[in-house]
Amino acid sequence: MRCERCGKELTNRIIKINGITYCENCARMMGYDRFLRDPSDIMGNPFAPLDQIASSLMQMSELDFGNSTLTCPKCGMTLREFENEGRVGCIECYNTFNDNIIREMFKQQGNSEYAGRLPAQSAETDVTTEDVPQIKKSAKTEKAVVETGVQEKAADKKDIGSETENPEEKEPVKGKLSLDQLMKADLGMLSDEELEAGIKVAADAEEYRLASRLRDELKGRKDGGSNG
Amino acid sequence: MAEWYLNEGKDNDVVLSTKACIVRNIKGYNFMPRLDDKDCQSLLDTVDGAIDKSVYSGGCAADFDKNTVLKLTRLQILGREANQMSNPDRKAFYYNDDASLSISVGSGEHLTVKAMAQGHDISVYKKAEKEALELEKKLDVAYSENYGFLTSNVRLAGTGLKILYTVALPAISKTEGGIAALTQRVGQYEWMIYPFAESGELADSGVYIIASVNTLGVTEDDVLRRGEMLISDVIKAERACREEIVSSKKEQTSDIYGRSFGTLRYAGLISRSEALQALGWIRLYHDYDDSGEIDLSWNTVDKLTMDILWEPGAPSRKNSQSMNLQRSRAQGIRNILKGDDRL
Repeated sequence: MRCERCGKELTNRIIKINGITYCENCARMMGYDRFLRDPSDIMGNPFAPLDQIASSLMQMSELDFGNSTLTCPKCGMTLREFENEGRVGCIECYNTFNDNIIREMFKQQGNSEYAGRLPAQSAETDVTTEDVPQIKKSAKTEKAVVETGVQEKAADKKDIGSETENPEEKEPVKGKLSLDQLMKADLGMLSDEELEAGIKVAADAEEYRLASRLRDELKGRKDGGSNG
Repeated sequence: MAEWYLNEGKDNDVVLSTKACIVRNIKGYNFMPRLDDKDCQSLLDTVDGAIDKSVYSGGCAADFDKNTVLKLTRLQILGREANQMSNPDRKAFYYNDDASLSISVGSGEHLTVKAMAQGHDISVYKKAEKEALELEKKLDVAYSENYGFLTSNVRLAGTGLKILYTVALPAISKTEGGIAALTQRVGQYEWMIYPFAESGELADSGVYIIASVNTLGVTEDDVLRRGEMLISDVIKAERACREEIVSSKKEQTSDIYGRSFGTLRYAGLISRSEALQALGWIRLYHDYDDSGEIDLSWNTVDKLTMDILWEPGAPSRKNSQSMNLQRSRAQGIRNILKGDDRL
C-alpha cells in the first residue's frame, strides 16, 4: 500500500483520514496531527473535554463534504460523481479535478509523471519473446521452484528477477543489488547501504530515473520520513 | 485465414494468450459517460472514416446479428459480460481477417485497439501500436504533456496501455500457498493477477489473468520488459510445480489424467466447472503421459479451454447449468476431440 499523497510505500504506521491513506509524515504535513494521537488519549480519559471531541468530529465532517460541489464547467460532471465512478467526463475535467485525479493516480501507481511515447511516434522498444526453457522430467525441481519463488512464500524480496545466467548477479555482493533487482525492488525494503550502492549502479547504467528514485528514498529517510 | 487462437504459440502449455490493449480518446468529444447520442453518432462516423476497410470488417454493433455477436465473443473481441452489447447503437467493432487485431469504439473509451496472439508472444504490442499510430495520425487524440493520453478512466491515463497474459496454472493452484505466493511476486513487479471469472461465477478454472497496472511513471518499454520477466517467472514456476506434483504422486495424477480425458471424450452432459477441472488435470499431466494411449496436442487442449472459458453467457451460473447448455458443451468437446470444430 502506498501513501496517496507522496506515493511512498507504507511500511510503518498507516493513517486513514476521510478514506485517504497517508504516511505519518504526510499526515503531519497536512496538519492532521490530531489523528496521530492514540484514540485513548481522548476517549479513554474521563476528563477529556467534550468540546475537544466535538471539535474533532466537526472538522472530520467538514473534510468529508468539502469540495463535493466542484463541477466541470464543460461537461457538468461533479467531483462527487468522479469520486464515485472513477471516471471523468471530458478533457476539461482534468483541469477541474486536477488534485483529486492526481490522488487517484497515486492510489494505483505511486507516480503521476508521464513517461510514455508521444502521439504518432513509435515507442522505442526491442523487447521480444524469449524462449522459456522446458523443465526436463528428471530435472531437479526443488531448485527451480525455489528460484521462481512460488513455493517459497517468505522469499526475500531482494531475490526477485534472480533467474540470470550470471552467477555474480545471482548472488550479489552484500549491500549491492543488480540493476534488474533494483528496478523491481520495493525501495522501502532496501537498507540505506543498498540504496547508496544502488544509486551508483543506476547512474553507471545511465538509468537516471531509477537513480533519482533511490536518491529521493534515501533523502526521505535522512530527513526523518519514517515510512519511506 | 485461421482464427488467431487456433495458431500454435510459444509456451502454450501455460500461456493461453497474450494481449495488448491501447486506449485513446478523440479531442472535441466528451468522454463516453458524458457523450450524448448525437455526438456519439458523429464519433462513430469519424472513426469509421479513419479505419482502413481493406483490413477491417465490422461496423456499428447495432447491425450485428446474433451469430456475429456469438462469434465475436468466442474470438474475444467482445467481452463475456452481458453489458457488452448494451446500447449497441453507441458502439462499433472492427476486426481483421483472423481477428487478432481489433478496434472497439465506445467501449469504455472512444477507441480501444487490441492485438491478441495465442501463447506467449509480446509482439502483440508492436501490432497494436502500429494500428494506434495510424489512428493517431488520422485523428486528433486527447493528449497532455503532464498526463499523456487522456482517458475517461483516470487509471488508464498516461500510456493507455495494458498488457494481459491469460495463463492456465493448474499446478500452482493445487500447490498450498501457491497462488498467494504468486500474487505477492506479481505485486513486486507492480502488476496484478486475478482469476478468470466474472462476478457471480466461481473462480475455479485454474486460469488467471496477469495484467500490467502502471500507465504513468513508466515507458511502454518498461512495461513490456517487466511483463516478459514476470511471465517467464510464472511459466517456470508452473512447470516446476507440475514436475513436483507428478514426481511425488505419479500414479494418482496419471489416473486422474486418464479419467479426465474419459470424461471430456465421452460425457453426454458436462458443466463448465467440471470441464475446466478436467482440462486442468490434462494440462498438468500432459507432458508426462508416456502411455501413448491419449493423443492430444497442446493446441487442442488450449482450444477447448478457451472455447469453454469464452462461452457466451457463461457468467450466468443458472444458464450454464441448464441441461441444454451442458449437452451442447459436451457435444462440442467431443467434436473437438474427434478433430472436428464445434463452430
